[in-house]
Amino acid sequence: MPFDGFSSQIGAIAIYSYMLKTALNLWFCAILFLLLPAASTAQQDAQPLPLAATEFVHQILSRSGSPSAVAVTFQNLSVLPPESQEAVQNAVFNGFRNANVRLVKAEQALAEVQITFSEDWQGYVWIATVRQGSSNQLVIKKIARQQRAVSSRAPTLTIRKIPVWQQDGQILDFFQDNQNLLVLEPGQLSIYANESGQWRPRQTLGIPHQHPWPRDLRGRLEVRNGEINAFLPGTRCSGKISPPALDCRASDDPWPLDSGLVAFFSSRRNFFSGLLAGQSAGASVASFFSGAAWQNGDQRMWLFTGTDGRARFFQNDLGSPAATYDGWGSMVATVHSNCGTGWQLLTSAPTDSIRPDSVQAVEIAGREALPVSVPVDLAGAVDALWTAGNYNQVVNGVMQSQATGRYEAFTLTVVCNQ
Amino acid sequence: MKHLLLQLSAISSVLLLVAGAYGSARPRYGGTVRVLLHDKVMSIDPLSEEDHPAARDRLAALTFETLTEIDAQGRLHPNLAASWHADQSKRVWQFRLRLANFHDGTVLTAADVAASLARSNPAWKYSAADRQTVTIETPSPVQHMAEMLTLPKYAIVKRQGEANGAAVLVGTGPYKLNQWQAGERAQFAVNDDYWGGRAFADAIEFQMGASLREQLVDRQLGQYGAAEVGIDQLRALEQTNQNVAISRPADLLTVAFLQSDSPSRAGRKPVDSRVREALGLAINRAAISNALLQRRGTPASGLLPQWLTGYEFMFPGSTDLGRARELRSDAAAFVVITPIMLAYDAADPLSKLVAERIAVDAREAGIVVTPYAEAHVNSKVARSQINADAVLLRLPLQSVEPSIALTALTDDLGFFSESAPAILGATRPEDLFEAERKLLENHRIIPVAHLPQAVWLNGNVHNWQQLATGAWQLDQLWVEGAR
Repeated sequence: MPFDGFSSQIGAIAIYSYMLKTALNLWFCAILFLLLPAASTAQQDAQPLPLAATEFVHQILSRSGSPSAVAVTFQNLSVLPPESQEAVQNAVFNGFRNANVRLVKAEQALAEVQITFSEDWQGYVWIATVRQGSSNQLVIKKIARQQRAVSSRAPTLTIRKIPVWQQDGQILDFFQDNQNLLVLEPGQLSIYANESGQWRPRQTLGIPHQHPWPRDLRGRLEVRNGEINAFLPGTRCSGKISPPALDCRASDDPWPLDSGLVAFFSSRRNFFSGLLAGQSAGASVASFFSGAAWQNGDQRMWLFTGTDGRARFFQNDLGSPAATYDGWGSMVATVHSNCGTGWQLLTSAPTDSIRPDSVQAVEIAGREALPVSVPVDLAGAVDALWTAGNYNQVVNGVMQSQATGRYEAFTLTVVCNQ
Repeated sequence: MKHLLLQLSAISSVLLLVAGAYGSARPRYGGTVRVLLHDKVMSIDPLSEEDHPAARDRLAALTFETLTEIDAQGRLHPNLAASWHADQSKRVWQFRLRLANFHDGTVLTAADVAASLARSNPAWKYSAADRQTVTIETPSPVQHMAEMLTLPKYAIVKRQGEANGAAVLVGTGPYKLNQWQAGERAQFAVNDDYWGGRAFADAIEFQMGASLREQLVDRQLGQYGAAEVGIDQLRALEQTNQNVAISRPADLLTVAFLQSDSPSRAGRKPVDSRVREALGLAINRAAISNALLQRRGTPASGLLPQWLTGYEFMFPGSTDLGRARELRSDAAAFVVITPIMLAYDAADPLSKLVAERIAVDAREAGIVVTPYAEAHVNSKVARSQINADAVLLRLPLQSVEPSIALTALTDDLGFFSESAPAILGATRPEDLFEAERKLLENHRIIPVAHLPQAVWLNGNVHNWQQLATGAWQLDQLWVEGAR
């Protein structure tokens, strides 16, 4: 299901690509900043509390036979803040008045309504005890708690996160341009077409495979000039966007990672074996989860996040690391920007994959890794980070929300501070 | 205590150094995770009569899977069933199975599922509509059947060679039972062909009946990935910055009177209902929670905790000694009040403390409670044979779906047949509240406290998932130092 305001996001990404291609103008970037929707705004799926309060009053009245005069008292046993409590109480009072029920003191009331704002681990629980003579009625209403917005802190160099797509099923990787959104999933490749700013399903192409997928399944999607290449452990698929077609076969072909970096993936695990291909064919490094490569002047740089928990930085020579870093997350991708040295590494945090994650920009100066942004907090663990865009100006990311369980595809870009 | 702190401090400094060298979000394959279990498990059969069913379920979950599962956030997910639907009456449920293999290589079929579930709940009817579709028919509506089938007792087990008297239990889960010494040690080896993908750790090994304290004394803790800890050990662990995962206060600590008011058992007579009510009013739950449980538990007035339902506060649970004495006097006018024999689990030091405190509180109301230790209080069969008026039970919360949790509690307490239809058919929270109120109204069950479960975790163990109920979900577990 697409996010609200999706059409403006597609437009914004197109503008951004154009700007980087031509001038990378700071002022335009600043304007872009304003155009982009707030990236970390949480979904507001929960029912507004005053509306829930009105419904609650209707329930109370329908169970109690709509007495003409009631006395209402409240107690709060929940984390409902005072201002929200006041709004809800006012909505309750209005609900009774709109139903032509008079609010009176207890001694004049035909029914006494004691309302308790309670809560369980997932939301609010509102309980009304209605006393009419000797009889007691109980009305309980459960209301989903609104999600808290993800915090955003004052940045030095800012990472902008733009939601692209979310769904219940797992997302391994995705590709988007102005016309198409391709979502790589464990059993299929879904193609969506842009229709007036909304992604509409166009085609689903199956990905047959012989063996069960490994746990912590990973995949890589590469689309160039309408040609599709999808890589999954032990499987490779090739095809076209138009007309949609995909042909899959058992294969241990190396996966493309980053500019000029190609590596073999372990067919029944979740990491790269360390054996490189492409421009670095024949070279090998310690097995790794993700790798990045970039050019700094005449210097060729690589960084690999090893399966042993250490990140290894190589400069010109893949024979031995120039530096080793601890405490990095396992996901890393390069991004090209107009800030700092022009290249940043976006890295996930060293947290367990069952906890919320964050992404931070890092630059390598000499052999030292320097954080150049504050971390962007994410609502779940990062499943994938891949460099994307014609000029490596974007990183495609995937995460699974802790709160909703849904998978979210997003893009990350780096914006300079003024 | 000081000695324990020093030992913990020394171990933690070593562990923190190790932990600091690593850091990653992506799980790694390989290695063995060793876990210390406090309780002794005699069988991993989900239907076996066990003194410690919660510990048994922790082991069994690695091997035997349910049709559905509930995650740490309380969301229902397909497991061995890929999809399901019910008819309008909620009496006929159909589950479509995914393609999965048992550990012996045979394919899971609807007939296997029907045979397994028929043992779990003989009151329902099961049939295989086809090879992959199983139908369940119930005599009364079950609103949350998919949630119900997440309970460990509904795990799918293939039983081989039963006719020979030595059944071999075969599951479909991410781990296979590799080595088994009842009550002492269990080792589970990874199932390479698991339908959900091979789990990360090569093996998970459980050492049973050992306490964290003993291991500290032996300076052996570093070799373990995790250890169950008691509430009394939490403060020392936290003071030394140890990594401890504590669940919500989920377990129910309750006094349960064994004889119903219309006794069918020979032997002890039922305790008068006024005396039972008086005992409930005499217990100082706040003091128990604050002092004995070190503020880790919460006073219980209902069977389900406040955090799960939001309405536990509606059940009265405060101390009222005046009313308790009145009730006791009323009863004394009609019956001879004899001392209440209260049995508690001999293997649980916390239960002993709470039982003794209950006896002290009861004396304030003029009621004599005599606590004594029993080796077997947790299984229903064992309880039917002990010579006590009441038992102090620690019952695990088995589901985060309130109706299923309440059903499971009534099953544990022996009230399943009389209560389950109303609970399972409840469509509104008000109905569930009413069902719980009815269970409590005759004072045969006196809730005392809700307790958390806690586990110490080594810094090199990752993705240890403790559900809100305190149950463990270990299929994502991985350990550093492996490839």
